[in-house]
Amino acid sequence: MLKIWKIVVTSGLLMSGFAITWLVQAEVQRSSNEENGLEKWHFIEGDIEIELVQRLPDQTRAMLMKHEFSSEVVEFMATSCMFQTIIRNNGKSGSGESVSVDLTLWRMQHAGRQSGILLKEPLIESWSDQQASQKARLVVRWGMFPTQQEYLPGDYNWGLTAYGIPPAAQFDLEVNWNEGGKQYTGTIHDIICAPDVDSLK
Amino acid sequence: MKVIKSICMALSLGLAMNLPAAETLTPIDNKMQAPDFALQDTAGKLHRLSDYRGKPVIINFWTTWCPPCREELPSMNRAWHQLEQEGIAMLAINMGEDEDTIFIFSADYPTDFPILMDQAGEVIEQWPVKGLPTTYVIAPDGTIAYRAIGSREWDDEGLLDKVRALK
Repeated sequence: MLKIWKIVVTSGLLMSGFAITWLVQAEVQRSSNEENGLEKWHFIEGDIEIELVQRLPDQTRAMLMKHEFSSEVVEFMATSCMFQTIIRNNGKSGSGESVSVDLTLWRMQHAGRQSGILLKEPLIESWSDQQASQKARLVVRWGMFPTQQEYLPGDYNWGLTAYGIPPAAQFDLEVNWNEGGKQYTGTIHDIICAPDVDSLK
Repeated sequence: MKVIKSICMALSLGLAMNLPAAETLTPIDNKMQAPDFALQDTAGKLHRLSDYRGKPVIINFWTTWCPPCREELPSMNRAWHQLEQEGIAMLAINMGEDEDTIFIFSADYPTDFPILMDQAGEVIEQWPVKGLPTTYVIAPDGTIAYRAIGSREWDDEGLLDKVRALK
């Protein structure tokens, strides 16, 4: 059962040089699963929906330890603030427009600092064969969210996104997408990374 | 007023979260030739895509650890039981896992259509797949006719009619 308790609304227009980004009025529903306590942020604006569901570090440990990763890589990934992520073009506007998402444009604000999110390509390239076998890399290659993807109405994708900050840390996430040739941005405030086992005791 | 509108929208969208995925197939207009492959299924039989030329083929890329992949397998199996008699093929290409893993998984998710194994992930790299599951419908001439990103209810009649129309 889901419990909804927060709605955030923003609107406006950003101009930077010749690029125009529409700062949208967005709905963000924050809810928690009463069975497992995991929290979810659901961002909805026009045809795009973005869902972020907390992922416990132990879930990531369990997933990666089954594959040929070094303990160092398993621990790094497990404590990198991962979220189960779903991006969907719900096609509700009837425009038939595709939605394109480029994760390199997403920005996060944590502890007064702005940065990009962790992307799978540089992560995978940074590992030696001793840290992650070729077969193990496939799990991250296909388990983490695609860095760029286009969604036509009805399409959705599922994968992990990672933010590179400690368990239980809080951050704001500026999500960014293109629809019908227009660039849009919206912010999901006060996202909280899942806590690690130590803090659950 | 804005707050009231927001609350109404949030409630309606909250309901929308529980709606099933739209049963859509995206037409591929550029007539891209489907990359050929030769892969063994879990029973050891070799399948070449080119051997299926002349009939529509549904090709699904998946893994056992991908929740939406698991979600759509039962409806794919139901669809297969309809399509098998109609000269339409269905192949599910598992990415990166071995026969034992798939065998154990199949106890919970039984399927009757061929499960092909791309253990090294080499075939999937030849296709324009970005995430899992992704499914393609191949026309009898070997071109990619439709694409679906994310899971679908594959036994939806409207969806299957699009596949049948390729014959």
